[in-house]
Amino acid sequence: MATLQLKNLTKRFGKKVVAVKGINLEVHDGEYLVLLGPSGCGKTTTLRMIAGLEEVTDGEIILDGVDITDLPPRKRDISMVFQSYAVWPHMTVYDNIAFALRLKKMNRSEIDRTVREVAGMTKIAEFLDRYPFQLSGGQRQRVAVARAIAVKPKLFLMDEPLSNLDAKLRVATRTELKAIHHKTHATTVFVTHDQSEAMSIADRIVIMKDGEIMQIGTPEEVYDQSASIFVADFIGTPPTNFLDVELVREGETLYLVNPHIKLPLSAENAARLRGYDKRELVLGIRPENILLTSADEADLSAACLVAEPQGSHQVVAVELDDKLLKIVAPARPKVRSGETVHLTFKQESLRFFDRESGARI
Amino acid sequence: MTKKTRRNIYRTARLTAFYIFVSGVTIAMLLPLYFIVSLSFLSTREAYRYPLPLLPALNVEYKLTHGERGYLLSVYDPIDKEYQTVLDTGDLEKMSVYMKSQLGAPMSVPEIEQQIARLEHEAPVFFTRRKSLLYNYETFFKVAGTGQAVPALIRSLEICAMTIAISLTIGGMAGYAFARYTFRGRDALKFSVLFVRMFPGVAIAMPMVIILVNMGFYDAPIGLSLVYSVGSIALTIWITASIFMGIPVSLEEAAQVFGATKIQAFLRVTLPLSLPGLAACAMYAFLGAWNETVAAIILTQFNPTFSVVVYQTVLGAVGQVNLAAAGGMVMALPAVIFTFFIRRYIHQMWGGVTV
Repeated sequence: MATLQLKNLTKRFGKKVVAVKGINLEVHDGEYLVLLGPSGCGKTTTLRMIAGLEEVTDGEIILDGVDITDLPPRKRDISMVFQSYAVWPHMTVYDNIAFALRLKKMNRSEIDRTVREVAGMTKIAEFLDRYPFQLSGGQRQRVAVARAIAVKPKLFLMDEPLSNLDAKLRVATRTELKAIHHKTHATTVFVTHDQSEAMSIADRIVIMKDGEIMQIGTPEEVYDQSASIFVADFIGTPPTNFLDVELVREGETLYLVNPHIKLPLSAENAARLRGYDKRELVLGIRPENILLTSADEADLSAACLVAEPQGSHQVVAVELDDKLLKIVAPARPKVRSGETVHLTFKQESLRFFDRESGARI
Repeated sequence: MTKKTRRNIYRTARLTAFYIFVSGVTIAMLLPLYFIVSLSFLSTREAYRYPLPLLPALNVEYKLTHGERGYLLSVYDPIDKEYQTVLDTGDLEKMSVYMKSQLGAPMSVPEIEQQIARLEHEAPVFFTRRKSLLYNYETFFKVAGTGQAVPALIRSLEICAMTIAISLTIGGMAGYAFARYTFRGRDALKFSVLFVRMFPGVAIAMPMVIILVNMGFYDAPIGLSLVYSVGSIALTIWITASIFMGIPVSLEEAAQVFGATKIQAFLRVTLPLSLPGLAACAMYAFLGAWNETVAAIILTQFNPTFSVVVYQTVLGAVGQVNLAAAGGMVMALPAVIFTFFIRRYIHQMWGGVTV
């Protein structure tokens, strides 16, 4: 049980490449924190710095009030699940789990009890005498998790532990990981590039890009209150729709205008944009917040390009200039491609972004 | 002819050709080996007759009669199926030596006298003696290198052990560095270690002698093992570097996260996993050092290695082909044993780590 603080943490490779640009972050006790971002955003480097596998260029890492920035990995009281699992191929599952305990000079019976306890928790009790090459990918992953739990660390680090599993197993395993977390309540930092994985297991998500933190928040916050175009685009499938629009005042009403659309704004939305001094902005709206409606209530009418049935719902794509607008609509009535669809935007779900900075208004 | 029969004929022909080729290659490799093994058990007389017997005789059948100069000794030749006269002498001492050194079935002078006594009642006398098959080996160790064979054997083993130790420690460490660290000029350096194998030993013999004399290692096992290590370090670097590259860094990192120091992580994780590769390197180093002759001839004087002793047997005054064959067998045996022993480790590969 521990809290982790990163203060102005920086990593530079050579003279030019800055992988992590002075990030500040606090992980609360027992929290499941997910570092999320596209590849090359510095999330894994951050995790490796916390683990002590990567030297810190600048800044501090503080675990439970103790500065661990310059400690070797073994003295940090952490454990880690690697992307490649990194279970030792020349040791049995039992020896893999017992490795750290033996180095801690724990006595035999205690080691045995701990190994069997975590093996039970991760459902690998029957494989204890096997070697890793006799196990499937999913089972090896469990061994890696069991090994990490066995040392009862202050902090768990997970570096894309699910990315080598097939899609179905990945979903099942992430549920189990979350269940294990409920039992252990260990503070966890989890790295992934998969936003749906992050959304489903995180207490809070840290979205990173180019070595900087773009937004920190609960899954609901980053989804509904995305701080920038990048976040709104990265989170959610299909991603947020973006329209370049101009702000036009006609009498008392504010309109968002582009060649396809002239959208009057509600009083609340108008109030939000009151202080905004530029005419051009970006309108963002999630696919499920665009509704199919009748011709006379439509904000926008266009021909359907393709409709993808998903069983529980269908994804309707409409082409505006070169951009696709995606709508998540109920499964019925079925929309056919070529058919004209009439769309209305939920006023309370409109999000506005600055066209230059991408920041939310 | 249906398509199916044609295909069958084609397949049979291809298979036949394949087996002919394979057995040809096998014979080409095994025949010389067979001849040296069989030669090492032949007596001198057998070894120098034509055609050469395929197998050594187990017994020698003697025939003794009166001769012009004393006694006429004949032996039965199993190939020509007749008794052939080999010696006509009255000197029993000479006859005894001849029986031992040329025929490999020794008899002492009193034993010969016993047979001569029989001549009074009947002539000729026939008697059979068991041939001592290991005679060549005994003689080799007694005669070769003027009694140096056993010390030379021990010296050679010593050199091999030192060569393995030196090339595995230095080459292994360098291989690890090449595999794990990026530094300026790494690839050029890795390539350049092979340069040392470009020069034939003879070409740089003089400088080697001078340097070893200056170091005080001339005519000493350590000097030779240093020379041999130069070549095998280069190979060891290349083999171990690729082995270490094949072992994921994350395995070591995991060990560090779970409580090991960097050195412990290496010793407990990387080293056991690289054992097959290290075993292969040890084998290379052993065979290289064990078989090397040219440098050993140049760099030793009173303390030759075993390969030098065998070489002298082939070349020198002792110069008997069957003795040389016995020496060759003794020379080959440790290499074969070592290779079979190390083979176990080379085949011991772990899941996920391919070598």
